[in-house]
Amino acid sequence: MTEATLQVLASGTGEFLPPDPNGFREHVRRNKQRGLVNKVMTEREAVARFVSDGDYVAYDCNMGRRGPTALLREIMRQRKRNLWMAAKFTANDVNLMVGAGCVSKVDVGWMEVGRPLREAIEKGTVKLIEWTNGALTYRLLAGAMGLPFLPLRYFGGTDAFNESGAKLVTDPYTGESICLVPALNPDVGMIHAYQCDIYGNARVFGPGVAPLEVAMAAKKLIVTTEEIIDTEEIRRDPPKTMIPYYMVDAVVEMPFGCYPGSMPGIYRSDMEHMVELGRAMMQGRVDEYLEKYVYSVESHQDMLEKRVGAQKLIRLRQEERIREGYRA
Amino acid sequence: MSEPISFTDSEYNICITSRLLEEDKLYWVAIGGPPLVAIRLAKHLHAPKIAYVVEDGTIAPEGPAAMPEFMTGGGAGAFRAVAWTNMNTVGLHAALGYMDYGVLAAVQIDMYGNFNSTFVGGTYDHPARRFGGPGGANEIASMCWRTIIMTKLQKRKFVRKLDFMSSPGYLDGTIRARERAGMPPGTGPYRVITEDATFGFDESTRRMTIVGLPPWSSVEHVAEKMEFEPLVADHVEPVDPPSDQELSALRSAVDPSGRTLSRGEWMQWNPETRELARAGGGGEE
Repeated sequence: MTEATLQVLASGTGEFLPPDPNGFREHVRRNKQRGLVNKVMTEREAVARFVSDGDYVAYDCNMGRRGPTALLREIMRQRKRNLWMAAKFTANDVNLMVGAGCVSKVDVGWMEVGRPLREAIEKGTVKLIEWTNGALTYRLLAGAMGLPFLPLRYFGGTDAFNESGAKLVTDPYTGESICLVPALNPDVGMIHAYQCDIYGNARVFGPGVAPLEVAMAAKKLIVTTEEIIDTEEIRRDPPKTMIPYYMVDAVVEMPFGCYPGSMPGIYRSDMEHMVELGRAMMQGRVDEYLEKYVYSVESHQDMLEKRVGAQKLIRLRQEERIREGYRA
Repeated sequence: MSEPISFTDSEYNICITSRLLEEDKLYWVAIGGPPLVAIRLAKHLHAPKIAYVVEDGTIAPEGPAAMPEFMTGGGAGAFRAVAWTNMNTVGLHAALGYMDYGVLAAVQIDMYGNFNSTFVGGTYDHPARRFGGPGGANEIASMCWRTIIMTKLQKRKFVRKLDFMSSPGYLDGTIRARERAGMPPGTGPYRVITEDATFGFDESTRRMTIVGLPPWSSVEHVAEKMEFEPLVADHVEPVDPPSDQELSALRSAVDPSGRTLSRGEWMQWNPETRELARAGGGGEE
């Protein structure tokens, strides 16, 4: 067998966060706490300390299901600017964040396209870069492995490839073409967990998408959690832990942290709220929506008390019928 | 039975697609929409052992027959699965060759089965109409052995040149075009299901070919609704309209919230006069 040479056959022209595995290692060495340190803080402190203007932000799932929706609201409340978002498997998330003026670039896997995003594209205030859901989670996997890139068996030959930062190369082992995607190590990772202890040992139940990849690949990791549990409980049932404490920079207790989305097994999504949001989007009244649920309240807790109410929250819990698999 | 029967183009596509689905095969789908409805209809009607994998990592769920109103919310879509994994894991299963079929929807498609779910009109940076993006369709269309694509037969959807190729069919149609782009061999689009024709792909030219026609359609009628010229198979199979049994299962058991009914164009087939009436309305996806 003759040895093939690794040759670049085609390159996408899209901008991407340059992979820097050694830089990441240095970051870990300097900044991540290897000791058991209490990291519990308020969402205000977590976002102020760990989210900066211009950061690349990735999280898992979306505002409709198990996403860190309440933390996204805190980012909007603190008026963070020029964020670069990984829109893999999202819902209305990008629309809302763009509507709040927080975003300047979006890596697209899938997102709902509504008025705020359409207007921003027209004005040229938001730049899109095309990927796929799978390609973005795979880039996060490469980032989580400490590698500069990973090969994958799709994406080549399409216009999406051309708009991305992927490359098509000759594989030096088989001589066949193979697509490469650059590792993605977001500045900020956000995971909404079911349970977490004060150090950051976190439990995430249900079908994934990529919670562990996001956690491992992120430089700064904020875990929001439905409840904080005792470390003794964690140690009694180690297989349930998905994210070990040393990756976590902040732990924020946020019951109903995915509201108006659903935390499967605990509460269903608030359809009335979703309709209200959809209508605000369609009618160009996102500002009003943001004023009501984000800017005019102090915190997530304040929003739940003033804008949602205990009665509705109890109902959302009661009406979540499928609980198998989500309980500790 | 000779009573006229009414259905939407979307319901037609779901029923016809569900008939193609075989027992003991593995299907890979995105989280919602007509493809998932078609699979659940097949499971409900004739192939209860069909297993499907959802892009979020859910493997072989045996949920309630009825589709929840919003698939992305809540746990109903993942109920009674055999495993909850994640997106990368099921992507690797597909790379290994486990996925027999992918079932997908498209905004725009060309003669080689390449398709678009990103934008129509204008340029990438200044699109006239922007859509959600490739989502999981690119990987599904690349790594499943066979891909079934559901869409509506319209000139602006069946185009000579796509505004944007989000996901691959046979690319430029040349031999080994997919392999040269890094995709596994032996894969590609298998059927395109529309309300006026079922298409396959010619083995040598990889061009879209009419392989099935419902009773109200004809090769001429189909060609008129496409920008490019389709090939015609030596033997074109007649396709039966949706049956009462299929439609009532779809409406009462699989999609009681009417998510498939509320979209699309109403059609009424009269088996006695063999005439089709189209009610118009809907149309845009």
